[in-house]
Amino acid sequence: MEKTKLRWIGIVVALLVFTGAGLSHISFNVDILKLLPTQLPQVKGLSLFLKHFAQPKELIVTIEAPTPEAADAAADALSAAFAKRPDLVERAVSHAPWEKKPADLSELLAYLVLNQPPEKIRALAASLSREQADATLKASMEKLGESISPQEVALLSYDPYNLAGVLNDMGFLSNGGQQSGFSSSDGTFRIVYVESAHSFANYKAAIAWVKEMRQLAHSTIPDQTIHLGFTGEPAFMADISGSMEWDMMSSGFATLLVIAFIFWLCYRRARPLFDLQAMLVLIFTLTLAAAGLFLNQLTVIGVGCAAIMIGLSVDYGYFVYQRSLRHGGSVSELQRQCVRNISWTSGTTAAVFFALNFSSLPGLSQLGNLVGIGVVIGAIVMLTVYARLTMRFHRREEARPPSVVERLFSTPGFWQKGAVFSAVLVVFLLGVLVVKGPPPPDFSARTLRPRNSEAYIALDRIYARLTDDRDMLSLIVAGKDEAEALKRLRTAEASLAAAEAHGDVKNSRTALPLWPVAMNQRTNLPLLAPLAAEITRLHGRAVAAGFKDEAFVLDESIFRQWAAWSTAPTPIWPANETSRWIFRRVASRDDGQFLALGMVTPMPGHEDALAARVQSDGAWLVSWNQLGRELRHVIPREFQHIIIALGAVVVLLLTMAFRSLRAVGLFIVTTTLVLACLAGAMSLLGMSWNFFNLAALLLLLGTGTDYSILLLLALTRNGGDAPAAQRELGLVICLCAFSASAGFGTISWANHIGLASLGQTCALGLVIDALISLFLLPRVWTLIHPKRQAA
Amino acid sequence: MRLLYPFLCLLCALPVFAGEPPDLAPVKKWLAKQDELHTVQADFTQTRSLRALRSPIATPGHIWFGGSDTLRWELGEPAKTIVIRKGETYFLIQPAKKKVERYKADSIARHGGAMGFAMMNFPIAKDFADFTRQFDTLAVSVADNRCHLEILPRDAQAKKMLEAIKIDFDTANGHLLAFELATRDGSSMRSDFTNVHLNQKIDRHVFDYDFTGYEIVDGKN
Repeated sequence: MEKTKLRWIGIVVALLVFTGAGLSHISFNVDILKLLPTQLPQVKGLSLFLKHFAQPKELIVTIEAPTPEAADAAADALSAAFAKRPDLVERAVSHAPWEKKPADLSELLAYLVLNQPPEKIRALAASLSREQADATLKASMEKLGESISPQEVALLSYDPYNLAGVLNDMGFLSNGGQQSGFSSSDGTFRIVYVESAHSFANYKAAIAWVKEMRQLAHSTIPDQTIHLGFTGEPAFMADISGSMEWDMMSSGFATLLVIAFIFWLCYRRARPLFDLQAMLVLIFTLTLAAAGLFLNQLTVIGVGCAAIMIGLSVDYGYFVYQRSLRHGGSVSELQRQCVRNISWTSGTTAAVFFALNFSSLPGLSQLGNLVGIGVVIGAIVMLTVYARLTMRFHRREEARPPSVVERLFSTPGFWQKGAVFSAVLVVFLLGVLVVKGPPPPDFSARTLRPRNSEAYIALDRIYARLTDDRDMLSLIVAGKDEAEALKRLRTAEASLAAAEAHGDVKNSRTALPLWPVAMNQRTNLPLLAPLAAEITRLHGRAVAAGFKDEAFVLDESIFRQWAAWSTAPTPIWPANETSRWIFRRVASRDDGQFLALGMVTPMPGHEDALAARVQSDGAWLVSWNQLGRELRHVIPREFQHIIIALGAVVVLLLTMAFRSLRAVGLFIVTTTLVLACLAGAMSLLGMSWNFFNLAALLLLLGTGTDYSILLLLALTRNGGDAPAAQRELGLVICLCAFSASAGFGTISWANHIGLASLGQTCALGLVIDALISLFLLPRVWTLIHPKRQAA
Repeated sequence: MRLLYPFLCLLCALPVFAGEPPDLAPVKKWLAKQDELHTVQADFTQTRSLRALRSPIATPGHIWFGGSDTLRWELGEPAKTIVIRKGETYFLIQPAKKKVERYKADSIARHGGAMGFAMMNFPIAKDFADFTRQFDTLAVSVADNRCHLEILPRDAQAKKMLEAIKIDFDTANGHLLAFELATRDGSSMRSDFTNVHLNQKIDRHVFDYDFTGYEIVDGKN
């Protein structure tokens, strides 16, 4: 006795340690790309984009005010308020850095000239020589009188030697002049970029920081006519992680409540109900702990599994309880009676889910592992602990009269009406499928985002008021060093030029003009650096040509910059604040990887052709819309393969269990009918297929099939007596179906659109599955086994 | 051409006068008279007073306006820069470089690249309502049949760059006398018109240009 006690204490302590360690490791990954196959070019490219250019510490505060002056004042007030909190904010930027320090642009200009081909630089150096300097200044003066380009006039009047003239494309220098990344053209919409003082250790830290920033912003701008929005990576992380946490907890809790209600309705017994609830919480906690210890960060699909696991594990509890009601023997005898059914159903379910590891979709693999672990833990807990508790309860309880629901399930009329209703429903749904066709696919980015997210709302405002780049493609070029990235950039530029000639591209801009060209820099520096020694002469000639002293300031600082770089190792990158600001969205040098970012506007409908033309080794042309198009091709094929493979596994397991080809055939027909009816129901409700609810098919294959398996096993056990099998398992299957549907149903309201569609599809599928398995399958069994029925 | 935008936006603005509101009657009258304009030919001298230069640069030019959407504007003698508008397309021609840049009128209007083209836009507003919608009026003064108007576009980006647009016109016949863009850095670009001929027949060939041997590219706003 003492030994048993000690053993239990040991088990409890071990479980507590296991649970504590596991739960402390739980973390969420809001990156939707973690759900998708990493080998897809779009996934690879977008992952690189998010990793290197998404600015994980940068919150974007949007300001919408009635007047430009109010918006401007609010932007300045906010950046000042943020700057006063160095414990929270590293920097807050409300104006392009070059607006405050235009002189900083001289470094960038010096760098760009330095990057040019040496023949251009030789010509430039010659134009500054004693012989040609005056002619150069005269040409500049003429151009100042003739040009109708204010850009050219503005720059040239402060660049008398036309140093910038060697640059072909000056577009990037003027970005701040028109609609910038800071203000809409009418000035009533402004943006402040706020960088966190610290990296976020986890999603809770991001949530807390964003909350503090919101409070600070709202207390700084109490004016109700000025609307503030918050977006950017930390805001997304806070919004999505917060809603994932809420979805997980609320759906799990709601499922427990629904299960309690159903159980009470059927059995009207409080003690086994509490025990069952306690078991479900235990299973959920242990599974979550296991996930924390053995799996990577939880993705949005993994979150939905909490409710699903509870919905599935309760099946075994119902089964154990139902059997215990008619059991008069010992606990171990009850366990022996239950183990075959539970091991087959949980075994097939777990096998199906673990087999998802063969999928190339990491999201599905995680889903499979989580549910697989949960199902195994659920089966073990129900068989070992709950069976013991139910028997203890029955020993104390006196016999009770059957409940209304139990009486209903023993009435032949109920089964007859149920069969008619199910048959009519099946015919109706198949009719809908024939008339309306299967649900259309929807692999757009819409299904990858939350339903309600302030971060998305603010982002949509940026699209509407500032710049909408959703139709644009990002060109990401990577290399192990500057030279490799440069080579690939040139290849990509040539491909884009060919694509433009072919009519696939509206316009494009790559990082090539900004990328360092080490060889040019090495050749040009000896030509340009000595010009600093000529400053006095060049200044004097400029003044003599009609320029004021201030007109020479820019050129002078460029000459000095070249001199300063004369001993620097190449390739040279510009380093001041303005240059860093400009480069942070076009070039990245992290983790020994060099990446360049460009933007391409494709001709509508030419995206696929363009991607095929431009994408090459180390170059990706990506966008969320393009990802949707790629998924549309890849995912259905992938799911088709997985479903066939999993179907084969299930059929193999069932062949071993049933040892009857007819039973297996019946199972296949039932499952096919369920899927067809589900498709009809989805068409009727205007639903579409997406990445998430395609996963629902796999869940149905793993869970819904349990009902037909249980029924077929009961039919075999009862010698083909369909009414007996229905009486034995009708209530249990109903309970299971309702509980599992409740589990999925509760995530139908999840904030994540895709996850919600997964819940809706599964709930619908399970109800259909239960109706067909309970009411129609036994009838068909009777039809195809007339002899056994007669016997 | 991106920085053209702030200047072009000058064309769109209305009145903001803290004290006594300016008397806009001459402006109203002048704009109404613009409806009667079918053709315009004029010489002009463009004077650029740039803050970075010790003295202004003056360049002669000529303009032909042949009704809506038809224009030729030349700067320099011989012309170094020519702009021709035909329908919805502007051609910016640089004879010395044998180069033509092509711009869509709606794209210029949308992206603001048109500021450089603002100096050659007739009329500056469709009517008085359009004028008040686009511009703030800073000052109006009349002396000896010469009305001096100072306006500022309502567009926030243009306001950032511009101090004012200054227009002088003849109150008697509606002739445009001078047009000036004054920027906030203290520079200005002024065109003084002389030899103005209104509603006289213009040879349509004036609006043609032989692009043979020219490189034609789409201009970037």
